[in-house]
Amino acid sequence: MFWKSKPLWGSKTRLKSNYDAVIIGGGLHGLATAYYLAKEHGITDVAIIEKRFIGFGGAGRNTAIVRANQRTQYNVPLYKEALDLWPVLTKELDYNLMFNNCGNLNLMHSEAAMKSARMTIATAQFHGVESHLIDAKQAKELVPALNISEDITFPIHGAMFHPPGGIVRHDAVVWGLAKGAAKHGVHIHQHTEATAIHTEGGKITGVTTSRGRIHTPRVLISAGGYSAGLIYQMLGIKLPIAVLTIQAMVTQPLKPLLDHVVSSGAYHCYANQTLKGEIATGAHMDQWPNYTTQNTAHYIKHQAEALSDWLPCLRGVKFMRIWGGLADMTPDMAPIMDGNDHIEGFYMDCGWGYFGFKSCSAVGKYMAQFMASGNCPDMLKPFNLRRYENHQLMGETAELVSYTPNN
Amino acid sequence: MNRLNQLPTLRITPSEKLSLNYRGKTVQGVAGDTVATALYANGVRVFARSLKYHRPRGLYSLDGECSNTCMDVNGVPNVRTENTLLKDGMVVKEQNVKGSADRDWLAFIDKLDWMMPAGFYYKTMHKPAAVWPVAMKQIRKAAGIGVISADYQMRGQYDEMFVKAEVTVIGGGAAGMSAALAAAESGQRVVLLESRPHLGGCFDYRVSTTAEGTPLYQRARELAKQVEQTGNIRTFKHTSMVGAYNNNLITAFQVGGATDAFTERYIEIRSDSVVVATGCIERPLIFDHNERPGVMQVGCAHRMARTYGLLPGSEAVFSVGHDLGLEAAVDLFDLGLKINCVADIREDGQNPELMLALAERKIPVLKGWVAAKAHGGKKVEKVTLSTVEGTVNRQFPCDLLVASAGLTPVTGPFILAQAKMGYDSLTGYFLPTTVPEKMFPAGRLTGVNDPAAIEASGRLAGLKAATAAGADMGNLVAAAEKAAASLPGPQRGCKLVTAPVKGRKSFICFDEDTTIKNIKQAIEMGFDVPELIKRFTSAGTGPGQGGIPGHNLPLFVAKYTASINTPVPTTVRPPLVPTFLATYAGYNHHMFKHTPLHDSQIKDGGIFRNIGVWQRARYFSDDFDCKEEILNVRNNVGILDGSTLGKFRIHGPDALKALQRVYVSDMSKLKPGRIKYSAMCNDDGCVIDDGVVVKLRENDYYLTTSSARAGQTVEWIRYHTRFDGWDFSLVNLTDAMGVINISGPNSGKVLAKVIDIDLSSEAFPFSGYQEFTLKDAIFVRAMRLGFVGELSYELHVPASYTQAVWDMLKEAGAEFGIRNFGVEAQNVLRMEKCHVILGSESEQRTNLLDLGLGFLWDRKKADAKTVGAVALRQAEKDVGRLKLVGIRMEDDNRPARDGALIVDNKVRGYVATMRKSFSTGQAVGMALVESQLADTGTRLEIFEDECNGVRLYARVVAMPFYDPKGERMKS
Repeated sequence: MFWKSKPLWGSKTRLKSNYDAVIIGGGLHGLATAYYLAKEHGITDVAIIEKRFIGFGGAGRNTAIVRANQRTQYNVPLYKEALDLWPVLTKELDYNLMFNNCGNLNLMHSEAAMKSARMTIATAQFHGVESHLIDAKQAKELVPALNISEDITFPIHGAMFHPPGGIVRHDAVVWGLAKGAAKHGVHIHQHTEATAIHTEGGKITGVTTSRGRIHTPRVLISAGGYSAGLIYQMLGIKLPIAVLTIQAMVTQPLKPLLDHVVSSGAYHCYANQTLKGEIATGAHMDQWPNYTTQNTAHYIKHQAEALSDWLPCLRGVKFMRIWGGLADMTPDMAPIMDGNDHIEGFYMDCGWGYFGFKSCSAVGKYMAQFMASGNCPDMLKPFNLRRYENHQLMGETAELVSYTPNN
Repeated sequence: MNRLNQLPTLRITPSEKLSLNYRGKTVQGVAGDTVATALYANGVRVFARSLKYHRPRGLYSLDGECSNTCMDVNGVPNVRTENTLLKDGMVVKEQNVKGSADRDWLAFIDKLDWMMPAGFYYKTMHKPAAVWPVAMKQIRKAAGIGVISADYQMRGQYDEMFVKAEVTVIGGGAAGMSAALAAAESGQRVVLLESRPHLGGCFDYRVSTTAEGTPLYQRARELAKQVEQTGNIRTFKHTSMVGAYNNNLITAFQVGGATDAFTERYIEIRSDSVVVATGCIERPLIFDHNERPGVMQVGCAHRMARTYGLLPGSEAVFSVGHDLGLEAAVDLFDLGLKINCVADIREDGQNPELMLALAERKIPVLKGWVAAKAHGGKKVEKVTLSTVEGTVNRQFPCDLLVASAGLTPVTGPFILAQAKMGYDSLTGYFLPTTVPEKMFPAGRLTGVNDPAAIEASGRLAGLKAATAAGADMGNLVAAAEKAAASLPGPQRGCKLVTAPVKGRKSFICFDEDTTIKNIKQAIEMGFDVPELIKRFTSAGTGPGQGGIPGHNLPLFVAKYTASINTPVPTTVRPPLVPTFLATYAGYNHHMFKHTPLHDSQIKDGGIFRNIGVWQRARYFSDDFDCKEEILNVRNNVGILDGSTLGKFRIHGPDALKALQRVYVSDMSKLKPGRIKYSAMCNDDGCVIDDGVVVKLRENDYYLTTSSARAGQTVEWIRYHTRFDGWDFSLVNLTDAMGVINISGPNSGKVLAKVIDIDLSSEAFPFSGYQEFTLKDAIFVRAMRLGFVGELSYELHVPASYTQAVWDMLKEAGAEFGIRNFGVEAQNVLRMEKCHVILGSESEQRTNLLDLGLGFLWDRKKADAKTVGAVALRQAEKDVGRLKLVGIRMEDDNRPARDGALIVDNKVRGYVATMRKSFSTGQAVGMALVESQLADTGTRLEIFEDECNGVRLYARVVAMPFYDPKGERMKS
């Protein structure tokens, strides 16, 4: 029958001593890149090297929100393509990624925020992405649980409503991509740690893993929060990345209450309801760089305080589970996708902070193109590493941010 | 149901009746009942239906390990009625049922389980694509157990408490109480947390005796009395520990009793060391239909009788794997329960005294046997027992099946504190292999079961914890170690994972309806790590916080895969007990700063906004365009509360060097009594702050920063001079000083009435600084500045006097018609003058040159190593950077909205601020545009949101728009 149990991403295979490409990190970006390398570029001799199990890191810890309402013209088209890919991938992978196209509502709590929302909305509309500025009353019609009274800490002035966004079941994406990659011949090696990358004459020659040495001309590091550390440790390249803990949590499951993803910058808080009924919430990062995924007492309390204000009915609901993940933040809150520069055959896809999930499908597609051809696709060019050297930050954030003690 | 009213172990007051409304009917309980026990007393057996299959669910444990008894209480969903104390008048409803829990017409789904193997939803409902949105709606409706209405208002008082102690003891059983008493001998402050409403733990309901012959319940009450009489032990009962964080920060919440002023209370405890004496829950026994109403864990059945006076059935079968099960059988038999059979999984190792007691009572005992299947629809009617190997079967009638495979230590606190967990092959427990610093295990969770050993391990842990917290306990620790070592140690645990069943209806997780078969399916699909199986099958992700599958899942995976020798547990996550948002939120403080003039701004009709950390008056009328406020400043005189401005004094021999480091201008040229406007950049040359520096005297400066930067400025200056060893002092005066801004052509006249100094432009010119004393008492720093483009004075006054000075000025200005203006009016006034506000006319990547403030930058002070100077030099010739320009609409009646884009075929910039200027009659503003478009006269195409393709047009014009020569502010 159609649910006959067989290994979803192939049976366990021997680690070969040669691969056409090695991808370090079995998260969403690595899996997606492997999938597209194999499917669209005929490079099927690919090994994914994953220290734990696929989806261990950010892929399994994010709250699954997808959207294409970023601030700059470099980001919007990339995320738009990622959004458009969910239904396509569902079909291609024959795996239900459970895209809930419920739309995102981004609350604005001041005149200044309304102004910046208007710019973001204009940017979206300019690129053919639907997004609208609505007032508090309209927001309340979309989300009846919203508190639009004046006597809360940050009264709601309005919202940015972005109908094309929503929620995708993040674990399904991991497993679906793994299934698709394996089907095209990719080897997924779990519980295998990459310990060194080898170069000769400025070219990649191989990777050493806990299960042996691999010869390969191409390596991609897409290890989420661990990327910057690995890249420095293995190749000595220092990236302008600070790694911070970000936490998220869910309440006990409820019958349908929120029909949209709702978020608030001022409260540092978002809330959306999973298909299972839990209210998933989180948002701000801990303010100090660290590589642990430990939780902090103030975080869950802050979240409760914020939600008590703007979704007060949730006061009668219980938190069930909180967890932490890593966000690798760049100074301009835009990722670094680069390669073949400085070391031939070395590619990196990192600095995604907390946006790695929503971009993974499109990034996999373009990184695969990059790795197959050796030439950077136009879509990825603005995300090069050298922009920092040239003091040309991307502008994805308007506000000054400082994640490292250095600036 | 008749209560056993005379038992000495009762925790109810049978005479004190309470009532609750259940499905529209009033039923009676008694004080001390939980909601579930009260319902049980009234014959309720099916409390809920399961999430997926709508299987009937009954009382299984009494500690909330599963959602079996989750109900809607007073409109609050998912209340675990089994450990929620009954209060008079509660309204209790069933959840997730069509009809009632007893007759749920969705029960047929249980027959369709073959359609729903592990992860079936990932493989179905997406072909054709149009099916999914429809299916999704149905999934959403079917999922989510409880209902909360969008306008629900949670009632009650939610308190918070922040406690400091030397030692925290988690768990108020015999071990925890012993630990608290031992630690208290040091004189240190000890906090004791107990999740039940009373101390006692597993001693509380047991009549078996200590070696000295004291019944355990009596021993527990003795210990509790000692605890209560010990002044330095602070006991929190009905308090669940929920979080453990770095440095032994413990969080918990307490449920308020009838006499407490709070409904629930969030408690955060900072202590030096922690004793974990959380005891054990039971490891569920997995067999077919192992969650039928009538199947109950040992402790649940035992406590129902002993604590609540309710004999849980009339005819019982026991299927157990530890001595507590045998002890319960003996005791419940004595209380009147008929027992048809006791099946013990263990072939040997039983306590001989208990075996003798069972024999005396003629209770048949089958060793090496286990329950294989519970029969009956909504209630257990019969049970099939089988040998552990599944070779022989026997059936027994019963209406109560007491089932338990063994014990599971409650190790959550260790896991939250980052302990590594490992499988202990003696006990079969997952125990910490590395205990976190200053955290000590005690009692049953270590594997001991002997009552004296439990107390001894508690005492030892308490003494160790006190020592770790700095007390000198002399040789007490050594003595306690010796005492504990002389008593029975950890006992061998029962290793059986499941009864000999195929597992189609054997539930490993009740909350998510996950069966053994589902787990096998997941493993076959490649999900061979418990953590992945948890994600794939949802086992352990329900309201029971993994209480049911937490121990069995890794054991089963290890057994089934056979490839892994050591089982690996899944991660336990906080909160260990589900906690209301209301409780976490506590008082929900609103934390904003108020200026010294706050109250008077309210009185004057200010409309406030939260801006950064401050609350500020943004408008002074309903006209948010602020026409009157603006014109009054332009033509007359206005007064503004500017107290949020960052204010600092820096002095000392190296003060100037520090200023040269962080400011782009050359501050060495500044003369005493003069003001310099300048900016600070970061290493990218991007502007992070602007403000003025006043040279008070040699080596002594006063400076202001934008409101937003006030908090970071001291750190910023310190950070960027950290390697220099310079001698200077830096003081943040932001909150110590209020600021009054008085602006407009008549501002000088108003000021002249209040002070007695020469205000002429010769004596007090633009960019000048004066100090004076008002009324012989109030020291005032006065600056002549022009942010809004008029004659303008900024008075810096000690905070406590600010209101007095404000009142003097208001009084003096009355004859001129002085009136308040707010932040928005100021915003428009300064926009007309093209004075930037950082964050409004700049973004993160905007550097000094982009803003047109390059004239502030002194390139010659190379020695100063000015922050950002290197980057400014490098970026100087970059093409395409966004530059700040003045723009004017082609149609003066149609200002573009803030945030509108400047476009051609790409985005080329955006409108930062634009208004219809009352002062000039033009639609003017400032925009950040690519440098190629920055020349005066360039025509700009503007794309506004919702423009439907209709573009607006503007031209780049010279700045500023108002009084370009600055005559008004300088004359």
